Amino acid sequence: MKENRRIIKVLIAISFLFVAMLTYLMYFNLFVADDVLDKKLESQQWETKSFQNRGKIYDRKGELVAETVSEGDVTKRAYPYGRLFSHVVGYCVRYKGTYHLEKVYNDELVAGDRNMIFQNVNVQGKDLTLTINADFQQYVYDRLNGKKGAVVALAPKTGEVLAMVSLPDFDPETVGDNMNSQEDFLYARAFNWTYPPGSTFKILTAAAAYENGMQGRIFNDTGGFVKDELKIPNAGGKAYGEISLEDGFRVSSNQVFGEVAYELGPEKMKDIAKRFGLDTTMGGDIQMKMSTVGYKDKKMFDTDCPNVGIGQGEVEVTPLHMAMICATIANDGKMMQPYLVKEVSYDGKSIGKAKAKELRQPITKECADYIGEMMVDVVENGTGTRAQISGITVAGKTGTAENSGEDHAWFVGYAPAENPQIAVAVVLENDGTSGGGAAAPIASRVINEYLENYGIK
Amino acid sequence: MSRVNYRIPLYMVILMNILGFLLIFFSNDFQVNVLYVGLGFMALFILVYTVLILCRMGDKFLIMIVSMLTTISILMLCRIDLEIGVKQIVWIALGCIVFFIAYVFYYKLRFLDKIWLLYALVGTGLFVMTLVLGKEINGSKNWIEIGGMSFQPSEFTKIIYILFLACYYSKSWESSFLKMSPTLITGLVSYAYIGFLALQRDWGTILVMFMIYMFLMYVYESKRRLLGFNILMVIVVGVLGYLTMNHIRVRVNVWLDPWADPSNTGYQITQGLYGIASGGYFGTGLGNGSLQNIPEIQNDFIFSAICVEMGVFGGAAVILLFFLLSYRCFKITINTTNAFNKVVGLGISVMFSLQTFIIIGGVINLIPLTGITVPFVSSGGSSVVASFAALGIMQAISAVEERKGEDYEGE
Repeated sequence: MKENRRIIKVLIAISFLFVAMLTYLMYFNLFVADDVLDKKLESQQWETKSFQNRGKIYDRKGELVAETVSEGDVTKRAYPYGRLFSHVVGYCVRYKGTYHLEKVYNDELVAGDRNMIFQNVNVQGKDLTLTINADFQQYVYDRLNGKKGAVVALAPKTGEVLAMVSLPDFDPETVGDNMNSQEDFLYARAFNWTYPPGSTFKILTAAAAYENGMQGRIFNDTGGFVKDELKIPNAGGKAYGEISLEDGFRVSSNQVFGEVAYELGPEKMKDIAKRFGLDTTMGGDIQMKMSTVGYKDKKMFDTDCPNVGIGQGEVEVTPLHMAMICATIANDGKMMQPYLVKEVSYDGKSIGKAKAKELRQPITKECADYIGEMMVDVVENGTGTRAQISGITVAGKTGTAENSGEDHAWFVGYAPAENPQIAVAVVLENDGTSGGGAAAPIASRVINEYLENYGIK
Repeated sequence: MSRVNYRIPLYMVILMNILGFLLIFFSNDFQVNVLYVGLGFMALFILVYTVLILCRMGDKFLIMIVSMLTTISILMLCRIDLEIGVKQIVWIALGCIVFFIAYVFYYKLRFLDKIWLLYALVGTGLFVMTLVLGKEINGSKNWIEIGGMSFQPSEFTKIIYILFLACYYSKSWESSFLKMSPTLITGLVSYAYIGFLALQRDWGTILVMFMIYMFLMYVYESKRRLLGFNILMVIVVGVLGYLTMNHIRVRVNVWLDPWADPSNTGYQITQGLYGIASGGYFGTGLGNGSLQNIPEIQNDFIFSAICVEMGVFGGAAVILLFFLLSYRCFKITINTTNAFNKVVGLGISVMFSLQTFIIIGGVINLIPLTGITVPFVSSGGSSVVASFAALGIMQAISAVEERKGEDYEGE
């Protein structure tokens, strides 16, 4: 039979496969197995040694933030400041992985390469120096006082992160004991978490208004934006009557900014957001979650604009990003890339210093000055008066963001207005308070502490 | 037919069980439960075998080979985790029931070669169900959860697919349907199934199904150009897959150099190879190896575990047992005179052989690793039950031939 002859050929082919498996298995055991076992030993030794000799992390003034210590048989990564830097430095737990800076800078922190280890050179990993001063970080941490949320402080001219606190946080030394990647405390509120920005987003809407020649325009505020079915009331339902765009910013009128955004339309709103870095990646050594304008699945209509214009709708930003936007206003319209590591050193000698990097210039200096003046007005006469510091001109913007839970309280600001040293973003998650009431005082104390004790006089 | 003493292999299985379970008993702090589990497992096979002999159900060696394989598997699984082992014994018991059901159905039902449309629809239905209800485990979306138990339909689809192909190649289906010739429909259904599997990222099963299709086509297709065209398609799809899909590229690169990134992409395979290397020729002995680092040890990598504790010779024994099983299946296929049974037999022979080759070859890094189960050996209900169903069909095919011979001799 023709079929049987062919089936026998198939059987021969299959037999060949089985013989190949047997031969290879024997070959492997005779000639490859020893190499494989060597490789295993090597990689275990390398892993152990690179963990023992992993680089240290220091704060801005040289205090130890992370190091590997050996106590008897146990080698572990120690974090002298405990939780304080958990959402900056992250953790490094053997067999469980690395997180945040420990992950981003793993290649630098790991000691040398395999070959060096086997030449028995006792190489150390490289050390990192943070841009953050631990004392200032501690001060900021205490101001947040255990509340869910985040505080970010940046140096506007360079993008250095001066302090960054996210709550809830974790103990980096014990977090590996029972790891569950679903836990929400593992996500840094400052840069791995997005919130609706609320009225702080009016900074962007105002920039677009300026570019379209709307400055000085008078609106008739009747207590809220109304268009057909769409109603966006002002905070507290207040009607301001005849009011200029600038005064609308000071009192944070939703009607004024709703009308501005409606007139600008989806394209211009999306454009200004994109220029300020929404829907784009930032790069650098902070693995930021992307802030988004939303409206990905469905088209953004004219009637969506008023909500976007006041930072609601589908707009979502990270607190760090909001601090960057505020720093951009402070820095004549230039957006700097934020960074956490100032210097990489080896054996006590510097081998690389971070350089300030301009990401882009979303708006002109004139536009930035215009918005800056309005932000000063907010703190002096508007919704942000609780951010005032005597003797220092503070610029800021409040926000109270609606969401499915209690409102988020927002404040972004910078100071001194004439020569900005620090830009701050504060968000209190589901605090149910207003930005001007709860977030502004925190920002004011953080700014004051920095300028008094750490600023360049 | 010459008389073969079929009791000797049975004694070997019993001896293996007694020695193995005693070892586990010793290394498990003398838990008496282990002995009960062992006794229950032995009783199961003695029972199945007795029924098989008394009812003259055809070939006597298939079930012997499989009981040796499952014994090795159960010993290994009980050693890894007694709970997994016990669960597996329950699955094997269920598998034995399915074995008899499949046997009876296949033996009695006379219209199995007429219902190609039903096969095609049920196969498609299983795929659609997987896509809609499926959940992802280890990167492949090919599991369905029913009442808390996971179930992998593609294990059964393979058998249905073989029956479908058999309708066509046994020439019991020659009329066209919806103005499409059977040849065209067979091709369309085959590629549709492969498409579904690609959506589930089940590359191993794609390979098995496609090879079954190719081998059957090689044996039966009179239009040789069609075979050439399909082989060309494999090459084109393979190259395209490599170029466009990162997943496949990673697998190939890991195969070429597993030590390029041993803690990440190469983790599974290198840990498996460490295990095989550490076992040596005779292994560390049951219960003495360190298995905790080998990933997926009770599923895809059970062969590595066998090599650690039973040595390369133990692993070779497993390969030889599969070789025997494969040979036995081919022998039954060749002796069969019924056209439909011949195609089904060939399909199942090829399925068992290739599945073994793809996963064991993958684990020892002879070929790129694609995650599929080792028939009868990996833990997991779907795989065991489906393998036993296929074995039941094979058993029925052998019985048809044997009993026909006896009738002829007028026994």
